[in-house]
Amino acid sequence: MNNLIEFFKKAFHIIVLAVLLILSVVMLGKSLAFNEYRLSRAVQGIVGPIQKSGAGMVHRFRLGPENEALVEQNIRLMREQENMFLEKVDTVLTEMSKPDSTNRRQVRLYDYTFAHVIFKTVDRAFNYMIVDKGSRDGIVRDMAVLSPEGVAGVITDVSSNFATVRPILHPESRISAVVNPANQNGTLIWEGDDPHVAYLEAIPQHSEINIGDSVFTNGFSNIFPKGLFIGTVKEVQVGNNASFLTIKVNLATKYADVYTVYLVENLFKSEIDSLKADFKDE
Amino acid sequence: MNNIISNILRFLVFLIVQIVICQHVCLFGYMTPALFLLALFLLPLELPLSLQYLIGFASGFVVDAFAHTLGVSSFSCTLMMFLRPFIVRFLNGTNFNRFESIERPMPGVKDFRWIFLYTLILTSIYQVISVLLGTMTFRNFGHTLLVMIGNTLFTVFVVLCVEYIFYNKVRNES
Repeated sequence: MNNLIEFFKKAFHIIVLAVLLILSVVMLGKSLAFNEYRLSRAVQGIVGPIQKSGAGMVHRFRLGPENEALVEQNIRLMREQENMFLEKVDTVLTEMSKPDSTNRRQVRLYDYTFAHVIFKTVDRAFNYMIVDKGSRDGIVRDMAVLSPEGVAGVITDVSSNFATVRPILHPESRISAVVNPANQNGTLIWEGDDPHVAYLEAIPQHSEINIGDSVFTNGFSNIFPKGLFIGTVKEVQVGNNASFLTIKVNLATKYADVYTVYLVENLFKSEIDSLKADFKDE
Repeated sequence: MNNIISNILRFLVFLIVQIVICQHVCLFGYMTPALFLLALFLLPLELPLSLQYLIGFASGFVVDAFAHTLGVSSFSCTLMMFLRPFIVRFLNGTNFNRFESIERPMPGVKDFRWIFLYTLILTSIYQVISVLLGTMTFRNFGHTLLVMIGNTLFTVFVVLCVEYIFYNKVRNES
């Protein structure tokens, strides 16, 4: 008996070793064999939340590059939207005979790029923003500027590396817009008071405008593509000129937070403008 | 007493560093350091053997739990702790007695050659076993071998750096 106890005292560490090794092998074998292994689920229950919060913390530091990737993905998606293209049909006859014939071709009308706002004013009477791309990056005058939420403004001045944006928050800003579902066209202006609110003018009084209706660009200006979101109707007033309504519009763009903006170029702008110029001369 | 607390603290720090940082390092796509081994290396040799095995198993288990490889590190660490006295005996030569003196495998107590060989042998034991258990196949053995060697070299490098930066004061004291 004494011998046995002595033996156990001597061999105790070997027994512990054997038990631990067998335990590891069992864990290893089971975690290889079954995904639904109970121990690994129990461990996951403890470890999971810790790892999740850790990953969240690490993710915060990687938000910058991820944002850039998402912006580029957004541009790829926006380039393929329907309002980016002109539908061209070679002849009326082919259209009549074969509605989905190969003669129908899409011509790109608008193209996107992006930039970052490096300076902006929001609370002045004449606000402006400066973005970090210029003529070297292919930025030209009269490109439309969009924020992730909606329409932001128009490029007015371009230097080689930077460009100035005239946001909606500028007394000279004019954007032709349409209210849906009433489908009435008007002009969006800003009156220098509230950076969240603009006015939609020249909407006929008979039109049924409700609070909360959406305001979109209508594409008449050839700067903005058709159907970009501007904001929602906040208030409907009968204007001084009694035949028109004056509509307060809650702007979708949060100018205080704008950092990444999308720039839209109308590829046929000069062509359209030359036609307009001819018309003016007459 | 002071020694126990410093050892426990060391384990906590190295396990956290391992889980938070080292586990996510992937140099050249396959080299991951196992810095927490340093805490095991520095464990006093006069500790009861069964306790050493338990500590090895527990730290391996914690690392496993966060790496989703249950059993791999715990097996390798336990085996490594089992082999550690033999390695030390081998490195010390024939006249080594476990109960003769307080053996602390630290820089200052031991010279660089001893520390380097000790770290290299124990690390390669750990990495060979854990990589083999982790892949569980001999297919594409060239890559497995590469991972073993890469992991071992990287771990030895990191462990020696940390050891000589943070545990080099002992020499001045004694």
